[in-house]
Amino acid sequence: MMQTLWVFPGQGSQQAGLLATVNPAILARVTALTGVTLSDTTVGYQDPVQIQLSILSRQLDQLAQCQQLGWQPQAVAGHSLGVFAAAVAAGSLTVDTAIQLVATRAQAMRSAYPTGYGMGVVVGLTRTELAPLVASVHTEATPVYLSNQNTPLQTTLSGALPAIQQVLTLALAQGAQHAKLLHVPSPSHSPLMAAVAQQLTARLADCDVQRPRCSYLANWNGRRTLTADGVRYDLANNLRYPVYWATMMAVAEELGTQVAMEFAPGTVFTKLSQAQQPNVRTIALAQQSIDDADFLLTKWKEVL
Amino acid sequence: MSEVVKSWTTRRDAKAARLTAAQSLLNGKFAKTQDARAVLETLIKPGDKVVLEGDNQKQASFLSQTLAQVDAAKVHDLHMIMSSISRPEHLDIFELGIANKMDFSFAGPQSTRVSQMIADGTMQVGDIHTYLELYARLYVDLIPNVVLVAADKVDHDGNLYTGNNTEETPVIVESAAFKDGIVIVQANEVVDQVPRVDIPGGWVDVVIPADEPYQLEPLFTRDPQNITELQVLMGMMAIRGIYEKHNVQSVNHGVGFNTAAIELLLPTYGEQLGLKGKIVPNWEVNPTPTLIPAIESGWIQSIHSFGGEVGMEQYIAARPDIFFVGADGSMRSNRAFGQMAGQYALDMFVGSTLQIDQFGNSSTVTEGRLSGFGGAPNMGSNPTGRRHSTPAWQSLRPDDDPLGKGQKLVVQMVETFGANKKPVFVDHLDAEKVQNEAKLQNVPIMIYSEDTTHIVTEEGIAYLYKTDSMAERQAAIEAIAGVTPVGLRSNAKQLADLRARGIVALPEDLGVKRSAAKRSLLAAQNMDDLISWSKGLYNPPAKFRSWS
Repeated sequence: MMQTLWVFPGQGSQQAGLLATVNPAILARVTALTGVTLSDTTVGYQDPVQIQLSILSRQLDQLAQCQQLGWQPQAVAGHSLGVFAAAVAAGSLTVDTAIQLVATRAQAMRSAYPTGYGMGVVVGLTRTELAPLVASVHTEATPVYLSNQNTPLQTTLSGALPAIQQVLTLALAQGAQHAKLLHVPSPSHSPLMAAVAQQLTARLADCDVQRPRCSYLANWNGRRTLTADGVRYDLANNLRYPVYWATMMAVAEELGTQVAMEFAPGTVFTKLSQAQQPNVRTIALAQQSIDDADFLLTKWKEVL
Repeated sequence: MSEVVKSWTTRRDAKAARLTAAQSLLNGKFAKTQDARAVLETLIKPGDKVVLEGDNQKQASFLSQTLAQVDAAKVHDLHMIMSSISRPEHLDIFELGIANKMDFSFAGPQSTRVSQMIADGTMQVGDIHTYLELYARLYVDLIPNVVLVAADKVDHDGNLYTGNNTEETPVIVESAAFKDGIVIVQANEVVDQVPRVDIPGGWVDVVIPADEPYQLEPLFTRDPQNITELQVLMGMMAIRGIYEKHNVQSVNHGVGFNTAAIELLLPTYGEQLGLKGKIVPNWEVNPTPTLIPAIESGWIQSIHSFGGEVGMEQYIAARPDIFFVGADGSMRSNRAFGQMAGQYALDMFVGSTLQIDQFGNSSTVTEGRLSGFGGAPNMGSNPTGRRHSTPAWQSLRPDDDPLGKGQKLVVQMVETFGANKKPVFVDHLDAEKVQNEAKLQNVPIMIYSEDTTHIVTEEGIAYLYKTDSMAERQAAIEAIAGVTPVGLRSNAKQLADLRARGIVALPEDLGVKRSAAKRSLLAAQNMDDLISWSKGLYNPPAKFRSWS
């Protein structure tokens, strides 16, 4: 049987027009549940709440269309914010619960670190090589942490901006190919997000989380989980741990993944997959229509 | 005094009781495909030692999938013994509580999950073995209660045909059949008469026709178009500086493009050097397609194989002078005999690795991935008990010891930087860290420094066997380690001294022109060329056909 992984990206590739094709019923549901009207404008996308709810809406819209055509994943992987649509795809969360949780998450993130904090990325050094550089800069007053593991040679940093900047300089001196700040306004995926994780944990205590119907790849530890508690923990806590994306993808491949289909927006993870897992076929829904995806999946199903 | 009558047939009695309990599911030795799960639930008991056949090529995939479906309330805490952890369900059975302990050799295709499960305590590891150790322990302290194996064809008496991919089926079945273990076989096909009997029916207890043929990976197929000019250069250096220099007659090549390059250089560069008929007539190696040009041009006299290779069946059948082929026309491979031959009968092993440390130890285990090892640790070790002499073995004998003896050539071929642009030469192997993380008794080293006689890089060859101290060995490694941190410790004076004493050779010392290392020197440039060389007898699997 063809083994398909559905990939849900987080923030980073949003831009005005993201919601142009989204079923208005979904946008109306977001407003009804959260009181937020999604503007889908460049100005609107300065606001984490607008960004996160818009990306979720777009993913839920594509998800509904795929499900309507009868497709189901054998594994799901969300990156950061993407875990919520992933949990819906796995049958662990309802659409409504996902919308409410993302609103809570985005609001908490917005108020946690209004200024002075963010993320950077280093390409060309391993995590092990970066660790001592981070340790040499980190202080309680200006903290910096190793955060997401995107590939073995691409790692993000989270923390106070001056500290990140120092690590970036050290990394370049040690032979990194690239080292730069990212346009991310919060120190995500680091211990600095513990308070936000606590709020989400409390919020999730009242939510119904079902056992996933397929393999759910957890951000926080790179493991596959098949339990409701495993999914719940990742949804609540992934912000205070690095996203172990490279490990999640290695596990997905070991579980037999043959096709990786990335939901909008962006094609970042499709490109990573093509470089890191050359044997896995890819579909990027930011560029290919649902009809295209349906055609390709139907064709590949015959040979895989 | 009352006499206690001791039973000497407890294992036999237990086996009989289990088979009696399964009677309703069996017609003679045969069970129905749809009863497979019930058969396993009846015949396997909690705590059993179970061998599940699976190496890096052939997998008893129907039985492994069935084992992952048994009720963990009935079958649990199994101690699995597997030469290769390859398929997702091999680890799912640990997550499901069906098994809790593993003794294995290779886990490359599941190395991330193996690492995670050891860290999480989901899987206890007995040990990581070389293949020969694992097979040997089946007869000593890992005697199985049940073995689950795969056959191509079975007749109505349970005689098995395992054909080209006989591999480790014989060594596994024998360990159970003669110690009252239960032998359960999945079969691709039930026939009136098998082409030949690879395993006698009398050794088989239960046969289950599988829902689809067992999984088979074309692991040793290398497309010549992916060979680089740097690999051509290293191949030329190895032919001159090792194969020719030591008069090597018998060899095993690991999986990799470096050795594929050598195979394709023999009929061209080797011919130019006048080496045909003088080196490597005898091989212990899988029937890898890149050997076809050397076979066809008369370089090779014999090849014995550990396993088969998908697509090579017809070619092998048409070349029984070269391969080990039954009267039925198909090859018989044997992994245990292959490993034994590789260790004791060969002049040389040539392989590759992901890391080599400053002392010359090498490993393919990297952080987060506990891959174990395939054939390399057996192939790449010097059997100190060897007695018979060959010119190559004798050529490594130290001059100053009257009781000295020869040594097997163990050659590592690596480019100084790996695919991830990280240095292959390092001060410390990742394997040292992995030992701590996975709480292993030993550092998972693939080939030890003491066994490594030569290292070939794009810079040159280090003749490690000629060094007489660890400091000198380190200097020789530094001299060919390029601009890695280890290599940067070398200097011009040191290099000149090592070259003068023949401990290090650069391409020019070997008469190899760097500018001559062109892809056009390869006897086959792509898969089509290999098909032509084979006169149409080689039939590459779909994934190696450019038009599919």
